[in-house]
Amino acid sequence: MDRAEAKQKIIEFLESKKGSKTKFYFNDFTKLLPDMKSREVKKILTELINEGVLEFWSSGSTTMYGLAGAGKQHVEEGE
Amino acid sequence: MTFVPSGYYNPDKPMEGRITDIGPRHYSEFLPPVIKKNKGKWLWHEIIEPGILMHKAESGDEVYTVRCGSPRLLSVETIREICDIADEYCGGYVRFTTRNNIEFMVDSLDKAKKLKEDLNSRKHPGGSYKFPVGGTGAGITNIVHTQGWVHCHTPATDASGTVKVVMDELFEDFQRMRLPAQLRISMACCLNMCGAVHCSDIAILGYHRKPPIIDHEWLDNLCEIPLAVAACPTGAIRPTKTKITTESGEEKEVKTVAIKQERCMFCGNCYTMCPCLPLADKEGDGLVIMAGGKLSNCITPPKFSKVIVAFIPNNTPRWPELAQVMRKLVDTYAKHARKYERFGDWAERIGWERFFELCELEFTHHLIDDFRDPAYYTWRHTSQFKF
Amino acid sequence: MPKHETPLLDQLESGPWPSFVSEIKRQSEFRHKNAEAMEKEGKPYQIPVDVCDDLLGVLEMSYEDGTTHWKHGGIVGVFGYGGGVIGRYCDQPEKFPGVAHFHTMRVNQPAGKYYTSEYLRKLCDLWDFRGSGITNMHGATGDIVFLGTRTEQLEEIFGVLTHELNQDLGGSGSNLRTPACCLGESRCEWACYDTQELCYQLTMEYQDELHRPAFPYKFKFKFDGCPMGCVASIARADMSFIGTWRDDIKIDQEAVAAYIGGELKPNAGAHEDCEGFDIQKEVIDLCPSQCMRLEDGKLVIDNKECVRCMHCIRVMPRALRIGDDRGLSIFCGAKAPILDGAQMGSLLIPFIKAEPPYDEIKEIIENIWDWWMEEGKNRERLGELMKRQGLQKLLEVTGVKPIPQHIQEPRHNPYIFWKEEEVPGGWQRDINEYRKLHPR
Repeated sequence: MDRAEAKQKIIEFLESKKGSKTKFYFNDFTKLLPDMKSREVKKILTELINEGVLEFWSSGSTTMYGLAGAGKQHVEEGE
Repeated sequence: MTFVPSGYYNPDKPMEGRITDIGPRHYSEFLPPVIKKNKGKWLWHEIIEPGILMHKAESGDEVYTVRCGSPRLLSVETIREICDIADEYCGGYVRFTTRNNIEFMVDSLDKAKKLKEDLNSRKHPGGSYKFPVGGTGAGITNIVHTQGWVHCHTPATDASGTVKVVMDELFEDFQRMRLPAQLRISMACCLNMCGAVHCSDIAILGYHRKPPIIDHEWLDNLCEIPLAVAACPTGAIRPTKTKITTESGEEKEVKTVAIKQERCMFCGNCYTMCPCLPLADKEGDGLVIMAGGKLSNCITPPKFSKVIVAFIPNNTPRWPELAQVMRKLVDTYAKHARKYERFGDWAERIGWERFFELCELEFTHHLIDDFRDPAYYTWRHTSQFKF
Repeated sequence: MPKHETPLLDQLESGPWPSFVSEIKRQSEFRHKNAEAMEKEGKPYQIPVDVCDDLLGVLEMSYEDGTTHWKHGGIVGVFGYGGGVIGRYCDQPEKFPGVAHFHTMRVNQPAGKYYTSEYLRKLCDLWDFRGSGITNMHGATGDIVFLGTRTEQLEEIFGVLTHELNQDLGGSGSNLRTPACCLGESRCEWACYDTQELCYQLTMEYQDELHRPAFPYKFKFKFDGCPMGCVASIARADMSFIGTWRDDIKIDQEAVAAYIGGELKPNAGAHEDCEGFDIQKEVIDLCPSQCMRLEDGKLVIDNKECVRCMHCIRVMPRALRIGDDRGLSIFCGAKAPILDGAQMGSLLIPFIKAEPPYDEIKEIIENIWDWWMEEGKNRERLGELMKRQGLQKLLEVTGVKPIPQHIQEPRHNPYIFWKEEEVPGGWQRDINEYRKLHPR
């Protein structure tokens, strides 16, 4: 799978879950892309972050990834 | 308020000109010349008097360090005052310790004594010292602590306030070295321990005792239920539906969560994910005291602190019960322990049954471990015990 | 006249210990006095002038009602980084608008926490202008902590830090947390390696791991120069690097005699009352491995039996010095109690040299990360994974041969999970061959 396909798969996965859950742990994506090494998956996620497609969500102790602007936290935090 | 841009950030092109991954400044930029010159070539050190250390280098150089306490929470105005002192006495150099003390370094004992006097003379308008000199040797040094009510969303108490009260009570031992060994006190304001306190001679720990309240009406609007469910480390939260009557009197069924209350360990992780699950409570929240831990490998191996007081209420602003227990613990230790013996080594030598007796602490079922496998190893498995 | 009455907090201004309430009041007064000058300079305060007043106000409220008034915010940060900023909002923004947003920024401290006043002043000017002016020097992990600013200031502060101060943020979330070390060789004769340099080099090597979280949970490095453990690495770092040595403790017998004779202060003067030093009672009898004795007034150490607890060295620092064949031990898996109980670091590498470019150390780190990233569950610290899969697994992924130093004592049960390849002939057996000797 090339990078573009992998990105597409990540975005489709997040879109499909949007209704109930918008934030996912890193290893949800490694499971989504089982043939890729975790370092490769991280590079792709980083690119998506830098393109503004994804954003981090941090509890302070743990971090999750989600589509930029998606989810109820945005309303709550007024950001 | 007029927004003044720094000129480094364009929200439309956030990656433009962005500098990332440059890390911290290299420490060598900040080392005083005498430190830089003698790095790796120190011979020995000595505590000249409380708060003043002398380090001797192979080159014959001597550096005198004056150590003083700080509340950790510092205003930039006070940091600027620290800078002024560093400029006046130390060629513009200063350092901070892991335990939030401030260290000023000079090249002679005379200068160190003068600096000590100067530091001890500076006071806040409210009367407290700004820079009390001490924190060395067989005494009490600064209490490392967390944010508490000043800045955290899950604390069960205030960190700065409890530390202030305890250090006021034990202040004499910050400026003296009369104890059998050093006594390290630490404070964390909830069981998540963002400041790890679990290996301290005495640890003060904020603790919640009530499970979260569930704001059914708003929960599904403000929180993603699967995330709230996943946040619970003990698996006590599950999704559910419930009938509610809204503030306006309307009856409706809403999606929400249910909590198995007896499984709640009061960590607040769910509240971090979901503001509709608050757990703070005036009567429920308070302090736990733990004791007998240590970090160093000196004489005995490092060990964990043990719970010796199950609950102290949040009697603000000065937590009198806390101050009283701390005073009793320190004085009993000072009186009974042998030279070089750390708090936990002393308690283990005399036996915990004798420890509770000497410290006049009540023993209740809360102090018997019942959390998962390690609990068993803390029960008594010998006929050797004291009456 | 203060904006909010704070009768409870005011009671924390008296007493000798430096008052945090006085600190906040000090900044409050300064901001009010300085606001006009800042305005004139073209640098009007970028968050409300009365931010400190409102901080005192909301804190007083907590002292009244015994509960916190902060809420967590997970989205805020600087673009591209997953850590370094902790979002905070006040749950009483109408009453205390100055602290409606009150985010924390973690700034990566220099190793050993030495500063020049010039640099500190620049940090102060930046934080005064664009934040509350309230800091923590330092946070528990080691960062310089900026307490309280508004969302729109985060990028501006980050821009100034990186462009003008050559300074990056620290970590938070599921990433490599800001590494921290003791002051090491800079001012301590017991440092067995250069803690500051190793801390700095690994921080730089792993910037991506520090800023872009992709671990199952937090991961901490801490560097202690010797077994005294001043940065508490053995209790709280997923990988703890503790200095040690393998040759002999160096003895200056003249100085030993001077300690015995009372000419030198024992324990480096750490006790007020240091009269009447008794070397037998205070040093020799307290040695945990009982490896020392006095012979004709000379101290003899059986170094082979020494466990390097350093008690004798600390009591007689002018007579005894650490050995010259120095390096470090690596311990893995320490953590605070949440969730499954506290863990101390467990010994992985008894001795390794700590010399640039530290390639061997990096290889160990990366092997451990590969394993943990593959096998670790969400929010599972390295120590918990070690408990779940066994110390053997850690040894296996790092290619370390098991030795008795790895354990306190051998296993208490015989339930060894033998692997098939360890048993001669393997596990595939022929029932007919068996039946030749054991008819049904």
